[in-house]
Amino acid sequence: MSKSSPRRPFGRNTGTVTVIEAKVHRSSARNARLAFILTAVIVGLLSAVVAASSMHPILALFIGALIGALSGGLAWVLVRIWPVLRLLWWWTTEIGITIVLGAAWVQLANHTPLPVTLVVVALVVGVPAAVPVTRRALVAWTWCLVVRHRLRVCFAQFIIANQSGSLPLILWATPTPVGERVWVYLRPGLSMADLEGRLDRIAVACHAATALVERASDGNAAYLRFDIKRREVLTATVGSPLVDVIDPATPATDRAMPVVPTALDLPDVDAPVITLPVQKKPATTANGSKPGASSSSSDADDVSDWI
Amino acid sequence: MTTATAPTSGVPVGPGLSMFDPIFVGIDEFGQPVYITLAYRNLLAGGEPGGGKSGLLNCIAAHAALSVDSRLVLLDGKLVELGQWEDCADAFIGPDITEALTVLRRLQVVMNNRYAWLRAHGRRKLTAADNLSVITVLVDEIAFYSATVGSKQEQEEFVALLRDLVARGRAAGIPVVAATQRPSFDIIPTSLRDLFGYRAAFRCTTPNSSNIVLGHGWAEQGYTATDIQPTNQGAAYLIAEGGVPRRIKVAYLTDNQIAGIADYATWIRRPATGNRTEWEIAA
Ligand SMILES: Nc1ncnc2c1ncn2[C@@H]1O[C@H](COP(=O)(O)OP(=O)(O)OP(=O)(O)O)[C@@H](O)[C@H]1O
Ligand SMILES: [Mg+2]
Repeated sequence: MSKSSPRRPFGRNTGTVTVIEAKVHRSSARNARLAFILTAVIVGLLSAVVAASSMHPILALFIGALIGALSGGLAWVLVRIWPVLRLLWWWTTEIGITIVLGAAWVQLANHTPLPVTLVVVALVVGVPAAVPVTRRALVAWTWCLVVRHRLRVCFAQFIIANQSGSLPLILWATPTPVGERVWVYLRPGLSMADLEGRLDRIAVACHAATALVERASDGNAAYLRFDIKRREVLTATVGSPLVDVIDPATPATDRAMPVVPTALDLPDVDAPVITLPVQKKPATTANGSKPGASSSSSDADDVSDWI
Repeated sequence: MTTATAPTSGVPVGPGLSMFDPIFVGIDEFGQPVYITLAYRNLLAGGEPGGGKSGLLNCIAAHAALSVDSRLVLLDGKLVELGQWEDCADAFIGPDITEALTVLRRLQVVMNNRYAWLRAHGRRKLTAADNLSVITVLVDEIAFYSATVGSKQEQEEFVALLRDLVARGRAAGIPVVAATQRPSFDIIPTSLRDLFGYRAAFRCTTPNSSNIVLGHGWAEQGYTATDIQPTNQGAAYLIAEGGVPRRIKVAYLTDNQIAGIADYATWIRRPATGNRTEWEIAA
């Protein structure tokens, strides 16, 4: 955000941020000059040519110069205040919401007596806050707004992209059951690999548990998708639909009762064990080269041999 | 703990189930059902003890048991994990490597015969229209056969046979689903591990273990099974159709539910497996 107010950058003089801001400032001044000259020349010539068809050429030239200078000046102003415009654009949603709410409040206060006003406000605020579904939806969408700003802070503060300091386009965000999903269009200078190395810091900046980044399009490496995760939702046990399709009246398979082994506790067992698995082991090892008695120690040998 | 009902709409279930159908394995973070089609794929599940690997295997076994065109070959070093499916399985091998080798050799012959059959018909892979069964091989705890029990020679033969099945069984309708706690090279040779196309990583204790299961480099991209809570058993990262790990929660079958499905499966596949009269009396 500090990057967006390039009129103050020279006041700060620490860290990489200042360097970039100085660059941004210089490039903004240069761009403005360039925009002025280009617009002035092109618009001036065009209007002079157009004007020449209805008046004396020299007069037309003067008029062209005037119009060119005016529109060049306009272009210069636009480029110089571009950081402010960009800032306004970033906060459009918030500004819009504030204006709408403010206007609604003023209208309401002007047209109804105070008790009615308060009751209406209490209802408008209280009902969505009391109903869990709307409350969750409101909170989720608020997080979407927050996350877009936080991501921009990440890009501006520690994911330094290119010389002119242009930030990726942070497109829309939607809530997901685990957090938010934000689509981003990278500008030259960044790649997905750069972001993968900084996912932990992005998660911190977004006040989230983890963050993931994925390609959002097969054909365009610049179009990415962030998955910000702040909740664990997979905690409930999931049932299987197969349970519902079977016929519960199925006769149970009657199995031959297997031999139930005894000696189920340590004191019951002395030396070489004769329980079910080991009983089969002598047969197993008889094929191999090792004697059955030392089967457990030979297992350990096998593992180390394998490495 | 609460229970989420599985989203049943669109889940192909019923007695007409086929192994070529997508298998419901659970839900993802968006609450959407997750399916895997196993007929032409192999799946490797890894994760710490108690992570939920056997839960996934049972889920797949349930689908396979209820499929009409399916045979089950179960290798279970712990006897109890897949033990309830014994009656509807064509082979159930406990902790005995000799029997395991025998059944794998049989499967190899079947596979060779099927390829010869396909060649004779000028085809390249088995399809649902062939009326041949898909033989699902479920191995719980590979490490038990490949590094613990038997002589070194037998272990190597086990690995070689399994690798052959994993490598060539796909198109012949012999998918392998294997589970092990940590498929590092000392337990399963890398040459075998890397052949599994689908991976499921249940909770792991280190990002490295997670990488061993999912494949190299995923932890660095933020997909590491260490961020699964130890208490959240059955949650996993699954790499299947999409190619990117997805966080899923595996559907869980209780012992009673498994017993019910196994009994039903045994009952519906009765005509195919002999001693029918006794059952028809019972029914
Ligand atoms: N999908 C699931 N949902 C809820 N709970 C589960 C799920 N899967 C497993 N559990 C719980 O976790 C326990 C251990 O699971 P499971 O036996 O599948 O682990 P495992 O990974 O096979 O362990 P081992 O490596 O020791 O064989 C189960 O007894 C069950 O209580
Ligand atoms: Mg298990």
